[in-house]
Amino acid sequence: MADQANFERDALQHSRQLYSAAMRMARNPADAEDLVQETYLKAYRAYGTFEEGTNLKAWLYRILTNTYINKYRKDSRRPTETDLGDVEDLYLYRRLGSEDTVDASRTTEDRVLDGLVESDIKAAVEELPENFRIPVLLADLEGFSYKEIAEILDIPIGTVMSRLHRGRKAMQKRLWEFASQRGLVPEDAERP
Amino acid sequence: MSNDCGEAQDQIYQYLDSELDEETAASVRSHIEDCNGCHGSFDFERRLKALVRECLTEDMPETLESRVKELLREETSHARP
Repeated sequence: MADQANFERDALQHSRQLYSAAMRMARNPADAEDLVQETYLKAYRAYGTFEEGTNLKAWLYRILTNTYINKYRKDSRRPTETDLGDVEDLYLYRRLGSEDTVDASRTTEDRVLDGLVESDIKAAVEELPENFRIPVLLADLEGFSYKEIAEILDIPIGTVMSRLHRGRKAMQKRLWEFASQRGLVPEDAERP
Repeated sequence: MSNDCGEAQDQIYQYLDSELDEETAASVRSHIEDCNGCHGSFDFERRLKALVRECLTEDMPETLESRVKELLREETSHARP
């Protein structure tokens, strides 16, 4: 059982990362700050039930995610289980690689990775439906293992893997569109 | 694309997410080193993953941590009448 007196020292060190995740969940700074504050308050109140020596960071993310989901469902009444259309594996790389008219495909890849701006990446993630966005955030932003993500979201590991897989493909499809709009890929490479 | 390429490509994310057991990861790693095509796709996905992480990391407002601390202090004083 954890001592509440240690909460500040142990839990606040994760605040910056929690805020980054909260920003991508809530999509605006005011709601993200509320989300982080609410997460810490709930965690503080429940800290007595936290088993010391277990994964504090994952426990905080579980509270953050549940707080977000509850708030989001209440606020928007939008369905949380959304499907994505099918997209081929390694979508972005394959679209770039299949482009024969480029002088050297390596330079197209470099140009895309260098030319996409922060707001493109953020938008591509934020536009993902919640059930795909959260696993992608937990894996790609936080580096949680599939097992940890399964525990945080209370879903089977197989579901984590399939949502990550499909979420990443959808994100790449959106990045391709941004790359096209920015003229980072040759015009005739764009999808007809 | 050989069978090895197909297998390696199927495991690309598990490899980059460090989710493969040591033996499988070693066999994927050795395939990527030898195969130009797979090396290109693994390198691209690795760089994209790093870029996503970098772009999603936010600077936290300076006041947020102190507000959280204040909130916790208020909570403590309410809990102790």
